[in-house]
Amino acid sequence: MRYLDLAIGEALNLGAEYADIRIQRTTDEVVLLRNLSLKNTSRDVLHGYGIRVFKDGAWGFAHHHVFTEEAVLATTRRAYEIAALSASVNQNHKLRLAPERSYLASYKTPLKIDPFEVPLSEKVELMMEVNRVMLGYEGIRQAMFYLISHKDEKLFASTLGTRLELNTQWIDPMVIASAVHAGDSQSRTFDEGGRATGWEWVTELNLQEKARQIAEEALIKVKADTLGPEERRSLILDPNHLGLTMHESVGHPTELDRVLGWEADYAGISFATPEKLKNYRYGSEIVNFVGDNTLDQGLATLGFDDDGVPGQKWHIIKDGILNEYGSTRDTALEIGLEHSRGCNRATYYFDQPINRIPNLYMLPGTQPLTPSQLIADTEDGVYIQGRGSFSIDQHRVNFQFGGDFFWEIKNGKLARPLKKVIYKSCNPEFWNSCDAICDERWWRPFGVVNCGKGQPSQTARMTHGSAPARFRNIRVGGSQ
Amino acid sequence: MNSSFERIAQYIKTHCQADDYSLRIFHADSHETRFAQNRVTQHLAGPKLRVNLSVAFDNKTGSASVNQDDPEALARLIQSAEAIARLNQPDPEYIFSAPQAQLPEVQNADPATRDLDPARMVQIVQSMIMKAKAMDATVSGMTEKHFSEWALITKGGFEGYDASTEFGHSMTLKKEEVETKVSYEAKSFAGFEPDAEFETLKAQAASLASKQVMEPEKIAVILRPGALMELLWFMGWMMNRRQSDEGFTPFTDQMGKLFFGENFNLYSTLKRTDIKASPFNSEGIPSREIAWVEKGVINAMPTNRYWAQKQGLEPCDFYNFYIPGGDASEEEMMKLVPRGLIINRFWYIRTVDAKAGELTGMTRDGVLYFEDGKIRHAVNNLRFNEIPHVATRRVLAMGPNRLASSGMSLPSILFDNFNFVDKTNF
Repeated sequence: MRYLDLAIGEALNLGAEYADIRIQRTTDEVVLLRNLSLKNTSRDVLHGYGIRVFKDGAWGFAHHHVFTEEAVLATTRRAYEIAALSASVNQNHKLRLAPERSYLASYKTPLKIDPFEVPLSEKVELMMEVNRVMLGYEGIRQAMFYLISHKDEKLFASTLGTRLELNTQWIDPMVIASAVHAGDSQSRTFDEGGRATGWEWVTELNLQEKARQIAEEALIKVKADTLGPEERRSLILDPNHLGLTMHESVGHPTELDRVLGWEADYAGISFATPEKLKNYRYGSEIVNFVGDNTLDQGLATLGFDDDGVPGQKWHIIKDGILNEYGSTRDTALEIGLEHSRGCNRATYYFDQPINRIPNLYMLPGTQPLTPSQLIADTEDGVYIQGRGSFSIDQHRVNFQFGGDFFWEIKNGKLARPLKKVIYKSCNPEFWNSCDAICDERWWRPFGVVNCGKGQPSQTARMTHGSAPARFRNIRVGGSQ
Repeated sequence: MNSSFERIAQYIKTHCQADDYSLRIFHADSHETRFAQNRVTQHLAGPKLRVNLSVAFDNKTGSASVNQDDPEALARLIQSAEAIARLNQPDPEYIFSAPQAQLPEVQNADPATRDLDPARMVQIVQSMIMKAKAMDATVSGMTEKHFSEWALITKGGFEGYDASTEFGHSMTLKKEEVETKVSYEAKSFAGFEPDAEFETLKAQAASLASKQVMEPEKIAVILRPGALMELLWFMGWMMNRRQSDEGFTPFTDQMGKLFFGENFNLYSTLKRTDIKASPFNSEGIPSREIAWVEKGVINAMPTNRYWAQKQGLEPCDFYNFYIPGGDASEEEMMKLVPRGLIINRFWYIRTVDAKAGELTGMTRDGVLYFEDGKIRHAVNNLRFNEIPHVATRRVLAMGPNRLASSGMSLPSILFDNFNFVDKTNF
């Protein structure tokens, strides 16, 4: 704690209006197995501190990995000097920080079995077994298993008087089977995108059974037909697939920094501008999106963000209408919000926090509806499972998505498997075409642990979720 | 090698008990000023260190990294990597670490760029903002400088060190509905002319002022180096010898065959001093002159040490990209086809079909429509679904080379029948 006090004291002595220090140790354990060959078995630690100083309407941020009083003081001074340089530019256009109270708190990801305490030999044996299951199928040329365990241990202090101890972690097993047949190659992936929980989740997944399923589906897929020319069809999207669709077409456009144009040079801006708040029909009336950084096992459930703002839950889209954004202390006041929604997050100690997507999910339908009933109610369409190709313009309007596994639906039945299916749509057409969402029994969370944004680039994590949903009259066809 | 790296290397050599090891040390110091909507929104600086140790006992491997270099941290590093290896299962594809190698002489670091005063960088930002304000526009972007050093030392006898600098400045101008961008990235600050960059940006913005709606179609395009660079990243990623030999890429069974357009060449080169060239890669493969594609024929693809040994090949890797251009100006290229588009940059490229090599992506930062040899107006952004190596068979002309990034020298290229499939609303 002495380094926290030292940095905060020095920042105040220098004349900072606000300052914080985040001491962060990040540990990653990675095991990558390909065709029974261990391509990577590693444990990586990054330990250091980042100090932010706010002065005259501008930020300065400096970081270091040397833990001495001298280094902490010098880094604080560097942050202050950088803030002063920034302020010389912002004289007539100052940043402002939304008010926030102080907190003395701690948070720890709830888990039963710490993945870092599970012997490596147990993990590798499981991975080998899963690899062997897939390679047991003739035609499977590549069996991959990628397992990452991640933890962040943070101490945070700010000039508001806040002192936080935050210990969060997540785990992500990903299994891929790739088949080669008649000059083509197709893969099928099991990947729930990571969860903030312990090793108990991995054991519950029954990955040997999942390996059998994806190996068989990879072989079906590589021999499957393509869809042919693009036509307007119905789409039924599973929760895993929808996780990525909502990430790109709802999550990013409702980050307030993009809305304000702060990502104009790199990650892009947003069509969902402030004059549309509370009146813009983003989706049909059954479409409700919630930002929720309190979600159980959510990857962005961290207790507090890197502004020292607690996790919250709020409607981003309510009954189809754009309701609010994900915001930070330095973006909230720009559009007259009274406080931040707690979405400022940094990846490593050396990253300055930026506005990030919260855990964001679509609420399930309110009427009883199963996926089987939804398929039975669809005459001509495509059912897409899992994530594939994804691309969206820099205003977050036009997009094209693929998937991981596809079934053609004819007259209420799964008619034949397909490969190389893509669909094209745009905001707000896509979410307004949503006419049915399965009920809460079918709601599933899916994580994203590699959300790239910012300069210098950072990768953030968050959880999405939904029940299977149907979208009408979408342009669906085969790739070239 | 600097004394700090030597001290770390000596500690590992003395204390590591493994049968084999590879030590990678990376150090960087950066200063990054980010601005948006005519003000500074982020501003950061600091050093980074990473010490990575990969070890093997027989063919059981393990790896660990830390970012401190005191003896306690290095002892933990060795203990962690060795413990993983001892507990691990044998790796059938393990090979002993890289041997001693003759490395090429390169000059990637510029002391003046390393020592560039942050106040000067902020001055540049201030000046660009003033210019944007003067034309009732906003500017957003980033000015950055980096000094980095890295070393690879192996039990097999490899010792390599490289230091490099980089200066970058990018900015996007927005005036009413027009958005356009310029970017500069080089190993030296010396060639950067901020006023000239802004003039280019301003001229690009002026050319985009009158915009008309265009529907997607197959049409000729002039891809400027910034756009070509984005395609090349993804195509290069697919050019992997092992993945191709095993049937996963479009390049399977195409070695030595005419597979690209006959006037398309792709090199990694040590001869061009304007492009960065790391003298070796993370496995210890020395960089050498490589013609990946020459007159459309695939001569080589990146091959790691294991696959090279198994297949009796020479290991090799990309270390920069050089596509030799021609002498056609944009004006001359526009006269070679009845109509077409000039593309400044692409955005959000992703693989649609890895086996076919098909990519999708959007245009960004300005699309110009030309007809009868003249620019007529700007058009909305478009989505493409295209196979880059197939597109090279439709190259009609090339312009002079430009530095697209610190590691890429590329020309503008005129392609026929580029496949646009959708449009957006701006």
